[in-house]
Amino acid sequence: MTAEDRRAQIDRRFEETFAVFDERMRKEQETISQERAAGGGAGSGPGMQGYPGETSGSGTEGQQGEGGGEQADGGGTPGGEGASGQGSSGDSGEQGGGGGVGGGGPLGGSGPSNVPADIPDGRDDDIVARQLREAAMKEADPELRERLWEEYRQYKKSTQ
Amino acid sequence: MRESGDFSSGLVLLGLAFAVLALQGCVVQEQRPMTRIPAERAIAEVPQQELLDVGIRIFDPNIPQDEKQLEKDRIFPDVRRAESRYIPVTLRDTLERTGYWGQVRVLPPGAGGAELLLDGTILESNGRVLRLDVTVQDSTGRVWYRKTYQGDADTRAYKGGPGRPADPFENLYNTIANDLLEARRRLSREDLVAIRQVSELRFAAELAPYAYGPYLVQDRKGEYSVVRLPAEQDPLMRRIHGVRERDYALVDTLNEHYAAFGAGMSDPYTNWRKYMYEELEAEAEAKRQALTRQLLGAAAVIGGVVAGSNSSGSAASAAATAAVIGGMYAFKSGFDMRAEVKMHGETLKQLGDSFQAEVQPMVVDVEGRTLQLKGSAEEQYAEWRRLLKELYENETGLPAIVGGAADGSKPAAGRR
Repeated sequence: MTAEDRRAQIDRRFEETFAVFDERMRKEQETISQERAAGGGAGSGPGMQGYPGETSGSGTEGQQGEGGGEQADGGGTPGGEGASGQGSSGDSGEQGGGGGVGGGGPLGGSGPSNVPADIPDGRDDDIVARQLREAAMKEADPELRERLWEEYRQYKKSTQ
Repeated sequence: MRESGDFSSGLVLLGLAFAVLALQGCVVQEQRPMTRIPAERAIAEVPQQELLDVGIRIFDPNIPQDEKQLEKDRIFPDVRRAESRYIPVTLRDTLERTGYWGQVRVLPPGAGGAELLLDGTILESNGRVLRLDVTVQDSTGRVWYRKTYQGDADTRAYKGGPGRPADPFENLYNTIANDLLEARRRLSREDLVAIRQVSELRFAAELAPYAYGPYLVQDRKGEYSVVRLPAEQDPLMRRIHGVRERDYALVDTLNEHYAAFGAGMSDPYTNWRKYMYEELEAEAEAKRQALTRQLLGAAAVIGGVVAGSNSSGSAASAAATAAVIGGMYAFKSGFDMRAEVKMHGETLKQLGDSFQAEVQPMVVDVEGRTLQLKGSAEEQYAEWRRLLKELYENETGLPAIVGGAADGSKPAAGRR
């Protein structure tokens, strides 16, 4: 093989790896754009806009959104030695799992859907109201939860 | 005797006045609207050759190991970790808006290669005060400056309404932007050109040290300068430019993650800082009141006792007794205020714990994505390094020897 041929071969390999890399970045950026458009990027679920006390429900939703996005992004990771790309879906899955740490499991039933319709968004809650809200959102027992919400309503009335 | 009576009456009146004042509490300090410091913005397009690319590394969260220290300084580790990403993102947005800089990017810890590199450490952040230690250096290794910035929160950011600052510490970010611009203005056009050349050669030398290591030298201060430049048609450099474009693309993608993280964190973070601010103010006020009540109560008691011992009339004696009782009451209410101070302390802790629980998964997520992207890029970099080495050997017929800086120059510091 002449030096010229060898250079052409190396150039081709560069072009191939550049293309794979560009595609990987394009997919990643597309995923981020989709997540941001859906309002679920980086854990920013709908409830994230609210008060820090509203941790459970919002965090759960945001994290689930991310996990899905990452798993969908199964683009090939450029591997070494001219391989056509070893799939990075394993990495992505692991990533999605990691993201779920804060949101899954026991908090699963405490999403925003458990907040009664007449309950305000909590932006102007003081510390007592926040404690009540948080306790109500975390409560698994529906009867007890309703009683907590009732306490919350009463308290909010008394402070208005 | 008459003089003594006047003195006693005066003390009694003073004591009573103190006691009344103490019970009424302190006057709340009026806050004037904070003067806003604008970031200087370019009014005309800055020539391309004067635009430096800026890299802002994720800040050092400066989290103490000692649990007691954490509690004392009210540092919530996960909140700090989140802030160490949020603050660079906010600063990046501030610099971008000025129009005086090229690409402004947030870089992961340890990354280098930017024409201008900004490092920061969070010294204090609690919604009321933000204190940052900032170091700026360019690619040659020249330190532009190191400075500690401190800013009080502009509470209009917490209240909403039109014209409010986007961030309660907007003034601090704008001050950093203005300082950076001032420092850049002190450089000549030649300096700026050299910064860009060194940046490019350091990147090249990191990928292909056998080829580009000798193009740079480091002086005793550790600053780089260019010994010679590669030929315009240098085939190796052409490929290195290609790799650098991908490197930018990688960092830009990471920045998309950081931007999403910043956007997701923004509202709850502002809320948290708002509540922290309120509680810290209330705590400080309660502390002030407790101290004042105790001091004034003590003064009233002392005044009453002294007046009682010096008075002869029953009216004066009754007044003295009243002053003592009032003073004791004020004194006690001062102690009661201490309980309120403690309550505010508890509230602050709860606020921190609550927000920490919210923000922690967001930090884990953005960190995980960053590592994943960097990890897959590492494989790719290894491949490109190998190809560059082959290309070099093919072009020169020489073996690529790492550390071949025959002139004694050190290989350029790695980008990653």
